[in-house]
Amino acid sequence: MKLFPIAPEPAAKQDDVDDVVKTKWQNVLREPLLHFLVVGSLLFGGYHFLNPGEEEGVDTRKIVLTKDDVRQLAISWLAQGRSAPTPEQIMGLVDQKVTQEILFREAVALGLDRDDEVVKRRLAQKMDFLAADVAALQEPTTEQLNTWFTVNSERFALPAHASFRHLYFSPDKHGKAAREAAAAALATVGGRPPENVAAVGDTFMFQNHYRDATPEQMAKEFGPAFSEALFQLTPGKWEGPIRSGYGWHLVWIDAMDLGRIPAFTEVIPSVKAGWIEDQYREIKRIALDEMRSRYVVTVPEINASDLRDLQVSAGSSAQFEVPPQ
Amino acid sequence: MCRMNRKTLLLSSTILALAATSVAAQERHAFFGQTHQHTSWSLDAYIIGNTVTGPEEAYQYSMGQPIKHPAGYDVQIKTPLDFQGVTDHSEYVGVVRLANDPTSSISKLPVAAKLKVTKDNGPIKIFQWMAGSIASGKPISELLDPKLTGSVWSENTAIAEKYNKPGQFTTFCSYEWTSMPNNQNMHRNVFFKDCAKLPEAPFTAIESDHPEDLWTWMDGQRKAGNDVLAISHNANLSNGIMFPTDVDSKGNPLDAAWAQQRMTNEPLTEIKQVKGVSETHPDLSPNDEFANYEIMNYLIGLDNSTSKLHGSYTREAYQNGLAMQATRGYNPYKFGVVGAGDSHNTATAYSQSNFFGAHGLTDATPAARLAGKVESGMNILQTGTSGLTVVWAEENTRESIFAAMQRKEVYGTSGVRIQARMFGGWEYDKGLLADADWVKTAYAGGVPMGGDLPAAEGKVPSFVVAAVKDPADGNLDRIQIIKGWTKHGQIFEKVFDVAWSGDRQPDPVSGKLPPVGSTVDITKATYTNDIGSVELKAVWADPDFDPGLHAFYYARVLQIPTPRWSTYDAVKLGILPPSNAPATVQERAWTTPIWYTPTPAAIARGERGLTVDDLTKGGSTALTDDQLKQLVVGKTFNVRNTVTGENLQVLFGENGQRIVTQLNDGPPKTEDLLQVMHTRISGSTAAYEIRDGHIVTTIEGTPFELTVYTSGDKYIAARSNEFGYANYEVQAVMQ
Repeated sequence: MKLFPIAPEPAAKQDDVDDVVKTKWQNVLREPLLHFLVVGSLLFGGYHFLNPGEEEGVDTRKIVLTKDDVRQLAISWLAQGRSAPTPEQIMGLVDQKVTQEILFREAVALGLDRDDEVVKRRLAQKMDFLAADVAALQEPTTEQLNTWFTVNSERFALPAHASFRHLYFSPDKHGKAAREAAAAALATVGGRPPENVAAVGDTFMFQNHYRDATPEQMAKEFGPAFSEALFQLTPGKWEGPIRSGYGWHLVWIDAMDLGRIPAFTEVIPSVKAGWIEDQYREIKRIALDEMRSRYVVTVPEINASDLRDLQVSAGSSAQFEVPPQ
Repeated sequence: MCRMNRKTLLLSSTILALAATSVAAQERHAFFGQTHQHTSWSLDAYIIGNTVTGPEEAYQYSMGQPIKHPAGYDVQIKTPLDFQGVTDHSEYVGVVRLANDPTSSISKLPVAAKLKVTKDNGPIKIFQWMAGSIASGKPISELLDPKLTGSVWSENTAIAEKYNKPGQFTTFCSYEWTSMPNNQNMHRNVFFKDCAKLPEAPFTAIESDHPEDLWTWMDGQRKAGNDVLAISHNANLSNGIMFPTDVDSKGNPLDAAWAQQRMTNEPLTEIKQVKGVSETHPDLSPNDEFANYEIMNYLIGLDNSTSKLHGSYTREAYQNGLAMQATRGYNPYKFGVVGAGDSHNTATAYSQSNFFGAHGLTDATPAARLAGKVESGMNILQTGTSGLTVVWAEENTRESIFAAMQRKEVYGTSGVRIQARMFGGWEYDKGLLADADWVKTAYAGGVPMGGDLPAAEGKVPSFVVAAVKDPADGNLDRIQIIKGWTKHGQIFEKVFDVAWSGDRQPDPVSGKLPPVGSTVDITKATYTNDIGSVELKAVWADPDFDPGLHAFYYARVLQIPTPRWSTYDAVKLGILPPSNAPATVQERAWTTPIWYTPTPAAIARGERGLTVDDLTKGGSTALTDDQLKQLVVGKTFNVRNTVTGENLQVLFGENGQRIVTQLNDGPPKTEDLLQVMHTRISGSTAAYEIRDGHIVTTIEGTPFELTVYTSGDKYIAARSNEFGYANYEVQAVMQ
């Protein structure tokens, strides 16, 4: 994942050094936190040197949230049209806020602030992007990927497939009795193989026989509820009535494949992308843990009763007068 | 549960792809997609608060993954799409985002300081500076450095390529050309057939805001082997300049070459998007009871502005196109229709029940949306869900979808996944639809939407229409066929109900089909599918067919009423739905028309009509201003419309107002007035003045000229919008 089209290319060529050195430095070079800090100072250190900021006067190692801060968090939650937050949800918001504050201060320490509102707003996120760039620097070995794949293979599961026939009972023909019509038909077709029941039911608008259909395709074709029900069925018998966005159906599954885990060799490029994504999260987590260990965080006690009377004035988030084209 | 045929199943990825291996037309499927999507890369989107997500997230969203709304919450599409092109504004694309990104090279340019959002340099100031540069044609050269624009464009391309998965999800290399002379919307989305031979940078409105120049550039691309098409949008906000009938955007008279170039380059237009519907307006179609649907009328960026109606709607453009074909031999307006979004949020809301606004932080919450705010002319309460583009294509690939767009076998919906088919032909059997294989017969015996009926003699055309509901939305109310035609320079339209749910009977007097009813509870924002149909279809023959007249036919499929997004929002807030917006909507699909062109022999058999040329060749002369004043001011005219046979009484008052006092020996009904005189629904009164040899009447902001000729002892009048015909015979002048 490359987030900035014009981001400077980090020193990716450092892997080209000869093998001896590579082996010797391999462990160090693969240390994510080191990468994070090295690239961080490469990108921003020079800038800091050229643009010395003002001396910091306040204690940058303390984060104190007041009750008002927490209420403010809750108000922005409400402003998104949601119902009042629970204390657990508030804890989540607080945690997010603290994390953002820490990342922000770390970034300021690197000299990224300047007098720039947008930069200030986005600094914490940029630390995130930085982690992504560092993750992308890594060049995993096949062995590493294979090991990682063994643990994460579920992520690469191929979708389920079903081949099935169905009999359709339309509310256009039967009104509210469409379900009963389908249930009655089940009594007559039950036990008969699908080849012998073609004349039962109403004409369906699309196909009577689907082959190798995936859950996503069937959700588009029949609606999500039908797709979900379909992949719970047992092959080799008539089942139903099952409801779709069009009415009721009796379904005969010819074959069902619940999907499978592919072999490593089938999905190497996706595994590599997934590995990098994982590295990104891991680097972020390690770096954040390390940084957070240097802070003392104070959060007030949170009670649901403090949040009940919150109100948001209409349109309070709309501050702009720019015509979208 | 058993597992069978693992290997086979792995190889056969989708049923659709399997079916698509046959290129036979009857195997075409409806693929649903988005042709108009902005991300943080668009100048205006960034400034209204969409600062993080780009084209990559736009594709992820359309494939079904949740992404972040600019306001920070998760949004997820209900049913994933089949295809999409991200269309960020090409003008200064990405530069604001990059200037505010300290790691980018542009942030180090001196000009970047002007683009950084600070206390003294707010978003509005930046926007005005850049938009001003586009409008005044004074480009900011530092920001047009090919190194910069080229790398943004190539990144856009790389992302489109990354997400293009033939057979599953198709992406396009595309952008929006943002021409807006004097706030009049002339925007076009430009779609390339594939991404193999793309230009180094797109053609922008900074280079030229004339569509003719865009088309010429596109012609050049096509010659270089890079096929491309444009989709115009928001004709409703164009102030009448989207579909001109006399001169082009540079003031040159329209001609066959202009029409040809337009049709080659922009075969499609958006009939619906978040900023309103461009099908027709209630004042243009007073007989169409469903015309008042998601109407917006303003000029982008201007508070309290209105956009002229004439020249701003597709139905009238189709009608004028026929008249141009009949009188001048070319039709620039045989375009197809699509539905689209224009959301500036990277994510797009299609469903009334899953609506989250379209303009960054300005409409991000139910409270903000219902607050009644007007943002730079745009009334948020009037904006709506995104439409959908539906293509009838063999397979889900760039090649197949692009080909469907070019042959206009496409239609638009208001955002729901209605499947709509339409075919026109001369020999369709009434019982055709009883056959399970009817689609094959329909293709074999005629043309699908977007096509032209072949020439035929002595026959009446019939049309096969069929619609299936969205499986995750409301049932269907009815299918209508909208017919437009022209005679002697006048344009006409009629709406026919051709298939409907239940056992409703049209009113024997008015011919109107009763409404389907409503199951909506607006206090809870709920509805049921206890009314309406799953499927509607019919074979319909035109009962009024005249083989000598040019005509078009398109289908409109209506859903039963369901709650509008504003009603869902009101329920979320625990308040009543706003009184100044409809509480329910009848969502719908509009097909591209099928056109009928009479043969020269059929035209020759019809009535000829009288033209201004005939009059002047016969020695008639036009009255001068003084003669006109003497003839009309303070007098009532008894005039016969020779095309419709209707009689009008028109009083030209001393006060500069002209009033239609009688029509067919009785007081005029508003809908009659429109058909005969293109007047306004709100009354038969309009201001007039006499100048340059014409009686100039201004209707809905558009001036129409009436010229009066002497012809023997008679007076004959011609209207400037009737393509050279002189259709009004003055029967008597009364004091």
